Amino acid sequence: MVELRSLDPESTALSLMLAVIASSNTPLLLLDGDLRVIAASTSFCRAFQLEPASVPKSQFSGLGRGEWNVPQLMSLLEGTASGAAEVHAYDFDLKREGQAPRLLVMNAHKLDYVDKEQIRLLLAVADVTEARASEKLKDNLLREKAILLQEVQHRVANSLQIIASILMQSARKVQSDETRGHLHDAHSRLMSIAAVQKHLAASRLGEVEIRTYLVQLCKSLGASMIFDPKALSIEVIVDESTTNADVSVSLGLVVTELVINALKHAFPGHRAGAIVVRYSSQGPNWTLSVGDNGVGMPAEPYSGKPGLGTNIVEALAKRLEAEVEISDAHPGTLVSIVHVEPAPDGAGQST
Amino acid sequence: MAHSASPPAGGTVVLVVEDNHLILMSALDLVATAGYEGVGAANADEAIAILEKRADVKLVFTDIEMPGTIDGVKLAHYIRNRWPPIHLIVASGRDILDESQLPTGSKFFSKPYDNTTIVEEMGRMLAAIDAGKPVP
Repeated sequence: MVELRSLDPESTALSLMLAVIASSNTPLLLLDGDLRVIAASTSFCRAFQLEPASVPKSQFSGLGRGEWNVPQLMSLLEGTASGAAEVHAYDFDLKREGQAPRLLVMNAHKLDYVDKEQIRLLLAVADVTEARASEKLKDNLLREKAILLQEVQHRVANSLQIIASILMQSARKVQSDETRGHLHDAHSRLMSIAAVQKHLAASRLGEVEIRTYLVQLCKSLGASMIFDPKALSIEVIVDESTTNADVSVSLGLVVTELVINALKHAFPGHRAGAIVVRYSSQGPNWTLSVGDNGVGMPAEPYSGKPGLGTNIVEALAKRLEAEVEISDAHPGTLVSIVHVEPAPDGAGQST
Repeated sequence: MAHSASPPAGGTVVLVVEDNHLILMSALDLVATAGYEGVGAANADEAIAILEKRADVKLVFTDIEMPGTIDGVKLAHYIRNRWPPIHLIVASGRDILDESQLPTGSKFFSKPYDNTTIVEEMGRMLAAIDAGKPVP
């Protein structure tokens, strides 16, 4: 140990340097040009179970029971001392008898200071055994999660296929046209949920591109519900909007109901026509509409009992915090679902 | 176990390969409604055994994930190599599969598939046979 009697600047500087190294939290070694240890941090001795008093002045290769004396590391350090190499983030397996190996990351630099004659190397050691293990664990968990997610998507698709199959088979077997109609509607609703499911599985980020989704959905609705594609068509006009999975499922179900409704009521007696589905958004506000050029609505909208479809649309609109507007399109009917985000300020603080 | 659904004698034969019994029954029903004779198999090994026994199968409609040594993709390639004229439709609930993984000319549909779409595709493929033209 360095004893200070008089405060001459040189020994003060030396003492300060040794104190800095000794107190470092990162295990540190100061070596000379012959790879002899000048000083070691307390953390180094503690981490690698070395008796602090034994460390100064011993050869680096002789530390402990020689576990540091590995040819590749030695030649890297010699290279660093001669200025030919540098030890930068070098992975080193420290193997000690009777102990689990530790994975270390070593960094060594030749110190640049006033005394050009004396070579000094600073070696910093980080023990990354636990960190690497937990990284590996994390990678494995992520991989496992991706596999499980795929498996779930696969099972959902299979379950939907089973339900779709049963509905279609039942629809063919029942005698009543009305029941058959209901089964077909149920099938269309199921396919619309399946469409968003497929879309989400493909997008992965949870963001749904509304245009692709609605085009896919309407194609599937048309395929199952339009018996004469030359007479009836569904057009989808949507901007570049994206939305989250929850909202897209609701939007898809609204479109499903309104398209089913238009196909059923707007074009009686094989009347030809077109259905147009539109969606556009501006900031948080959006409008979804389904219009047809059919026979128009009855004198009183939804005369008689409201159908299941109407109830579903109203419930979904409520969920989407949107208003349902029905208007006469001359010819035909236009149903719009309008969402206007409440102003964040101005409207009042009480709500 | 092999199922047969209302075979119209002398009609076009479609082999459906699907391990889920309910989906298989429904698919055979779909095939029958479309006017073809449906034959069912619960896995690829059964399907190959059927194809070895009868030469009149014109189209195979197969699932991908099935128990046994061969999945639907491998089955499709096997059939294309051994019985090149047979048309292939492949369906799966797993990710949207790239059709390039399948033999040329075969079609992929993700589950749940739409019956109408499947019937249309079968019609398109089988009409090409009747007209003696290769499917584009």
